[in-house]
Amino acid sequence: MSTATGAPAGAPVRLASGTPPPAPAARRSRPRKDRAGYLFLLPWFLGMLFTIIPFFASLYLAFTDYNLLNAPRWIGAENFTEMLHDPLLRQSLKVTFVYTFVSVPLSLVVALGVAMLLNRGIRGLAVYRAVFYLPSLLGGSVAVVLLWRYVFGLDGIVNAFLGWFGIDGPGWTSDPDHALTTLIVLHIWTFGSPMVIFLAGLRQIPTMYYEAAAMDGASRWRQFRSVTLPLLSPIIFFNLVQSLITSFQTFTQGFVLSGGTGGPADSTMFYNLYLYQQGFSQFNMGYASAMAWMLLVVIAAFTALNFLAAKYWVFYDN
Amino acid sequence: MSRRTVLRTAGLAGLGVGLGTSACGRGFGGGDDPEGGTVRLDMVWWGDATRAEKTQAALDIFQRKNPGVTVQVEYQDSGPYKDKLATRFAAGDAPDVMAMRMDSLREYADRGALLDLGQYADAVDLTGLSENARALAAVGDRTYGVPAGLNAIGFVVNRTLTEKYGVAVPDGNTWNWPDLATFAREVTRASGGKVYGTNFEAYTLANVIVFTRQRGEDFYTADGGLGVSEATVADWFGMVESMRAEGGFPPAGFIEKIGASAEQSYLARGSIAAQIIPTNNLLAFNAAAGGNLALLRIPGETQSPRRGQSVDCPHLWSIAAASKHRDEALRLLDFLVNDVEASKASGTTRGVPANSTVADEIKPTLSRDDQVATEYLGGLQREQLPRSYTYPPGSSKIAASLESIAAEVEFRRQTPRQAAKAFVEAGRKALGR
Repeated sequence: MSTATGAPAGAPVRLASGTPPPAPAARRSRPRKDRAGYLFLLPWFLGMLFTIIPFFASLYLAFTDYNLLNAPRWIGAENFTEMLHDPLLRQSLKVTFVYTFVSVPLSLVVALGVAMLLNRGIRGLAVYRAVFYLPSLLGGSVAVVLLWRYVFGLDGIVNAFLGWFGIDGPGWTSDPDHALTTLIVLHIWTFGSPMVIFLAGLRQIPTMYYEAAAMDGASRWRQFRSVTLPLLSPIIFFNLVQSLITSFQTFTQGFVLSGGTGGPADSTMFYNLYLYQQGFSQFNMGYASAMAWMLLVVIAAFTALNFLAAKYWVFYDN
Repeated sequence: MSRRTVLRTAGLAGLGVGLGTSACGRGFGGGDDPEGGTVRLDMVWWGDATRAEKTQAALDIFQRKNPGVTVQVEYQDSGPYKDKLATRFAAGDAPDVMAMRMDSLREYADRGALLDLGQYADAVDLTGLSENARALAAVGDRTYGVPAGLNAIGFVVNRTLTEKYGVAVPDGNTWNWPDLATFAREVTRASGGKVYGTNFEAYTLANVIVFTRQRGEDFYTADGGLGVSEATVADWFGMVESMRAEGGFPPAGFIEKIGASAEQSYLARGSIAAQIIPTNNLLAFNAAAGGNLALLRIPGETQSPRRGQSVDCPHLWSIAAASKHRDEALRLLDFLVNDVEASKASGTTRGVPANSTVADEIKPTLSRDDQVATEYLGGLQREQLPRSYTYPPGSSKIAASLESIAAEVEFRRQTPRQAAKAFVEAGRKALGR
């Protein structure tokens, strides 16, 4: 399903997540370890062989008029100028930006909160961790999005609940004013993967810092602000970059909720969904390719901004 | 925390991300060449399991009659079908025989991707088809497909509900749109709001097109332009909204697009008393809704300046211009259209057989609901209906923008008048004129 977007937009994601650049010092002193590392990376390199051709093909197609049936025709930057005057493209950008800038911070806050709760030495941690992680595995799946429609429908569970308080709820997924909010809530629910990473990060903060802080009479809040946050900042940074990149590429939620239309009234028209429609429903593969490259530029810009800002708040102790 | 630790910690995420990306549905298998002297035809279509069973039954007969030809079939839901077909053509792996959507026909035909059947009149005999049926796949003086069956849209009314609430079913041959509004209002009122009188999709092109034709306009003109006027679109939305305001039509947001099947419909669940369906679905809807549906014509057919209804088809059968097994593909098409056995086996899942002689011959073997649908369609075919024109390229974009604009009206974000203006503008732009 993500073939259109996988090539151009998928590449930077993998760079960010799956390929730790080996530190130069380690390379000289531990060549054997490196070999193992490259061995583990082998599947990625093999996969890359298959994506590299579509990757550059889409760059070429971005400058053509290509209807899938006839040979592509070179039209220069026309696709890109067309994008400036496309109201639906503007709408799709708006949807994607709202979704990203609301759901990413919220889901990170929830993930951190739950991670901190789970980090308090409760019994059966593995079980809880799995339970909280589960929605992340299911969240984007078709069945769950459909289930959510029953939950959020006009006579769904949510409105039945609101009805007890005399509130006449709207159709949370069919009303254009609420459909995106519903998707954001659904997204926050899938806080599992940042949560697991936060949890791992929290466990690496030496307890002596907290003991020392407590000795000095620091309150819990103070400990959180002065010990947890700075020491966890690299993990927060990683999760932020990671979530932003995936969020910009959201597709499935909008596709399933609206049956592929981006409705109601284009309120769930994510950028990638519109790209897909252009490429595969409306036979404008050249335009879709141009959109894919535009998305790559947007994601790269935000990631770069993130890295620049990181200098001021991310703390490494080495 | 060091950079190294961060990355090690992050390695966990790789797992999560990897598991999160879901696999997509099955694809079309690539068609292959002769295995041991046999020709394998690649055939794709959309539909459900029932249709698959019936289609396979017909194909089995074809394979028995044509030793040395096997038909490899792939089918799936209509949404993904459309997208995959396009991809398959782009990959240079077009199927030999395919179901073609009416609104996609010219998107393929205008780009030379389909075989002009007019050149092969000896191989595929189309003389058994009415002129209207033949015209469905005509682009200029060429013919790019054969109707896989004929259908029309009709209004079904659940008589179990109307009897329960004591509301008379209007005369389907003479009723008009105000009659529908009155009927719907009465059902809703008599049921105390438990059942809404009617619902139909204001954004479905087939519905709008009938309304447009009744007013003497063509939705698409002969030269592929947008013929519908702003006033007509505004009146269409205005009519639906006024029914909604009176209570005959469900409130905004009531209808969720959960699924298209008869079982999932609000009609089957008993919360709607009447709706528009394609006639080839009557059997399924009647079974799902309790077996007491009446089939009425679309309102306004006798009072309006001209007739709005038309004989359509659920889809066409087309052959790829690049097919390597052209002769066998033509033979299969001829069989599907003109062979009585084929139509007996496949039934009316794609509507009434396009060949009228075949249609008459299989009629006695059909179930009662299918006979009702066949008679309904036969009636229309005998009448003088204005011709409709093929959907021009860009019409899939028009369908999408109509759906979006209909939601704007439903949720009162735009008035019918504003919506009509926006729609006509978007439509002209989509057609490039």
